[in-house]
Amino acid sequence: MAATAHEMTTAAAANAATEVTPILEIENLHISFHTRAGEIPAVMDYSCKVMPGEALGIVGESGCGKSTVALGIMRDMGNRGQIKSGKIKFKGRDMGEMSDAELRDLRGAKIAMIYQEPMASLNPAMKIGDQLMEVPIIHEKVTREEARKRALSMLDAVRLPDPARVMGAFPHQISGGQQQRVVIAMALLSNPELLLLDEPTTALDVTVEAGIVDLVKDLGKRFGMSMLFISHNLGLILETCDRISVMYSGEAVETGRVTDVFDRMRHPYTQGLFRSIPLPGANKHARPLIAIPGQLPLPYERPVGCNFGPRCDHFVAGRCDTGEIPMLPVSGDDGHNSRCVRFDEIDWLAEPEGIRTNDAVEPGEPVLRIENLQKYYDVAANKMFGGGETRTVKANEAISFVAREAETVAIVGESGCGKSTLAKVLLGLETATSGRILLGDKEIQSISVESRGPKLVSEIQMVFQNPFDTLNPSHSVGSQIIRTLEKFGIGKSDTERRERMLKLLDLVKLPRAFERRMPRQLSGGQKQRIGVARAFAGGPKVVVADEPVSALDVSVQAAVTELLMDIQRENRTTMLFISHDLSVVRYIADRVVVMYLGHIVEQGTTDQIFAPPYHPYTEALLSAIPIADTSVKKKHIVLDGDIPSALNPPSGCPFQTRCRYKSEVPDNLCEREVPPIRNLGDGHNVKCHLSDDILSAMEPVISFAGKEKATTADA
Amino acid sequence: MIETVSTFEIIVGVIGRLWPVWLAIGAMLVFVWFYKRKLGLFGQLFDSSLGTAGVLLCAFWVFTAIFADIVAPLDARVPIAILKNALPGSVDPESGTVFLFGGDQLARDVFSRVVYGARIVLTIAPAATLIALLVGAALGLPAGYFGGRIDAFLSFLANLVLAFPVILLFYLLVTPGIMETPIPYTMAGVLFIIPIIFFCVMWITRYGARPARMWLFVGLTLLIGFWIYSGLVFNADPLGIIRIEPNELNIFVAVVFASSPGVFRIVRGLVFDIMTRDYVAAAQTRGENPWYIMIWEILPNARGPLIVDVCLRIGYTTILLGTLGFFGLGMGPESPDWGTAIKDGSKVAQLRLFPWQGVVPAFALMSLVLGLNLLADALREESLKD
Repeated sequence: MAATAHEMTTAAAANAATEVTPILEIENLHISFHTRAGEIPAVMDYSCKVMPGEALGIVGESGCGKSTVALGIMRDMGNRGQIKSGKIKFKGRDMGEMSDAELRDLRGAKIAMIYQEPMASLNPAMKIGDQLMEVPIIHEKVTREEARKRALSMLDAVRLPDPARVMGAFPHQISGGQQQRVVIAMALLSNPELLLLDEPTTALDVTVEAGIVDLVKDLGKRFGMSMLFISHNLGLILETCDRISVMYSGEAVETGRVTDVFDRMRHPYTQGLFRSIPLPGANKHARPLIAIPGQLPLPYERPVGCNFGPRCDHFVAGRCDTGEIPMLPVSGDDGHNSRCVRFDEIDWLAEPEGIRTNDAVEPGEPVLRIENLQKYYDVAANKMFGGGETRTVKANEAISFVAREAETVAIVGESGCGKSTLAKVLLGLETATSGRILLGDKEIQSISVESRGPKLVSEIQMVFQNPFDTLNPSHSVGSQIIRTLEKFGIGKSDTERRERMLKLLDLVKLPRAFERRMPRQLSGGQKQRIGVARAFAGGPKVVVADEPVSALDVSVQAAVTELLMDIQRENRTTMLFISHDLSVVRYIADRVVVMYLGHIVEQGTTDQIFAPPYHPYTEALLSAIPIADTSVKKKHIVLDGDIPSALNPPSGCPFQTRCRYKSEVPDNLCEREVPPIRNLGDGHNVKCHLSDDILSAMEPVISFAGKEKATTADA
Repeated sequence: MIETVSTFEIIVGVIGRLWPVWLAIGAMLVFVWFYKRKLGLFGQLFDSSLGTAGVLLCAFWVFTAIFADIVAPLDARVPIAILKNALPGSVDPESGTVFLFGGDQLARDVFSRVVYGARIVLTIAPAATLIALLVGAALGLPAGYFGGRIDAFLSFLANLVLAFPVILLFYLLVTPGIMETPIPYTMAGVLFIIPIIFFCVMWITRYGARPARMWLFVGLTLLIGFWIYSGLVFNADPLGIIRIEPNELNIFVAVVFASSPGVFRIVRGLVFDIMTRDYVAAAQTRGENPWYIMIWEILPNARGPLIVDVCLRIGYTTILLGTLGFFGLGMGPESPDWGTAIKDGSKVAQLRLFPWQGVVPAFALMSLVLGLNLLADALREESLKD
């Protein structure tokens, strides 16, 4: 009896011990990289704890060191990275003291990592089944049959349809979302206790992302894993994590429970982040976004004292710029720390100063009319001799909408929806198959850009998505703008054009000295400003902005968005804003066009789109957007599967393969016929077979559950 | 009996004769030392020991070629009968000149011949490679940019040339029978006109909005272009400066013809990649001419891989020239180029009894190609670093 009791107490003690021993504990971690410019500290004084079953989110902008932390945990930093000091403990054991063999056992078996680019994590020359089976065969030395069984059941667990077929496929034969599910399955096959996810959904479409996020959350619960979730997206962190660690310039600046940090942030950088993302309450006229001024300091130019000091509104010389700033606990919250010496002196509820509100702009006459536009591509099998079967890709099908002067029309959709093709046709890079595009009263659908002439070309211009690609790295900034002016026939002499170029630099709020800079000397946001200057060089009537801010960091996004809207407001330009991000669209757009597989499935004013009745796709899209606001309650809609290929679209309604209302339409109508466009009043059009009753019975996707809390906070 | 000097004196003698080369390399190193950070990629080459070695080897041969008249003690073609097959370090009893690397079977100074050979190799190889680069780029750009039938046709031609055995091609192009036909001149005429057209298109597309500057550049291009063209193709340079032996022209044409398909393929592949960038789309949306986009937007951004390729290709061409010389093709029998020298020195009897006649030029060839390869490797490494 005594022995049993003794055993029981030790078991209890062991239990208690496992309860308090964190899965992962990082203490004062410093990581440096050695480059040509010398030693660059990438992570400084980073500490965190991940308890069993807990999910920790690391959030921050590019270059803040969040991925380096993950690589440090895996001890995989290449030959240039080095852990300078600090400890990383896995279940209480210091990983720095483990031998290489022990670390190898740990990696892949106890700690698994999932990267951003699924295709880069899979071996393109091996069948998926073989890659999956390798994991248990290597780590647990099981037989091939056993490994195969486990791989199949794991593919089932990550909700892949038809696991047997996927096992026999090569990675390129399945879609991006499926690839990421395979990568997750591979990571889970070894039953890891800690899962590191480095931006696992950034490369995916929003509705696919929602599915993956849902899966990760569910798996975390089912398998009791701890997770370290790295993302730049605050909304995703809110949906997936229990605790959050906000990083800035190599340091954690604020850590704590997600709800504490989101509702009672105690670091100016965290607050700046929240103010620069378009939350549902933001409004471009009355409550514009506030960008964080300045730029992230380069790693070898970090200021003394607080790294955020030079960009902070609450900066006090003598206090913020002397000595090391420690992590200070925030009283009242559990484990809530802030790296700000003044956090208890700042009035956190104060409205930010210097907000410029603008009057709403009254749209004018229609500038751009698109009527029944179609764009088909023929994909031939053989270029030289013709022959082979010719397949047709219907990139745009019956596109009709109107954009008025000074109006912002958002075109929303995921990859393959035809939004980029539409942009190409508008700009004359492609000509339309049929239908009409009227710019003013001129038909432009079949004039290619070479034959448009400088005036027409300068009237419709584009801002591109990728800031790192938008400028030619071989020419100076000034010469690229001047070239645009030359092509648009603006200015009579070189000096006149140079004068005009300098004015354009003023317009986009860049110093005139940038004239001589090369693109590589500019930050992403600055490059995008040059892109904006180039698009507005010829006083365009219409500017097509193709996800102009999606590749930028959050704090820079706000600044570029505001700039774009200021210039638009001043010139009364019509803007077509192409995006997949409905939060940005809600903020910026006057009217919204939702596209899916080449069709416009819904269009109307922003208010009409964001309130029921919805097209089922819009509803899912709205539900998929992660919103970084704890008071927002969303209806949970996760679409099955992936977006079909435009080469092989489904019959009938393009959305029928993923629609959750399909059963509500009688006679299988959805599979047989493309729905007609129905006017729900006031120009709100929906392309759907659903009956009026079902449409009008829809509930809003986004609601504010915590209204009371918000009002008390205001009072 | 002919007097010889000791090995030590040979070494001192060689080092002493090369004094202008050491001086020039020293000046270069001092310059690099002070302006390293401003020299961009060239300065970064000196960060790695292999890169430094590559630059030094190449610089050594370039300066040797430039200062050949000072470095070489004797004319490359004049024999001193008494020193036929002389040992390294033999002294000419009449003039007291030392044959540092001995004499060859026609009693000429091996050292002087190797030095003058550098001049031939380092004129033809880079020039032919540059023309091949321009021809390859001028054809690779439209093939990659337009794609479709143009690409299929040009790629087919390139594959045709690539599939043809190179040595056989050279035999055909360089044999006397072919040399007497107008074929080499026609080929030279076609190949050499491409760079002129290329440069004219380059100026016209760039300065269309500034006609004064455009006509200035086009005029200069035509003037200089056709001056060189007349000298190379018709051997009728009105100023009489540019002159090329008919057999040298043949080699030149053959080398350009054989290496431009390689450049073509590289350029075409790079265009496929660079074309997807937004700045190309931006140029298209402002209504740029396709040739402007190819030459001014795409080509400058392909320069990294192309520079590496040019370095490697000069090395190949050097070997190719050696091979041609070895087969006795192209160059005249008196020519001091390394290939011919290796051929003369590599006959069995020669190699056994007088090994220096073949080994010295072979070593020269090897060191230059090694230098070029090291340089290319280092360029690739350094351009990949952040």
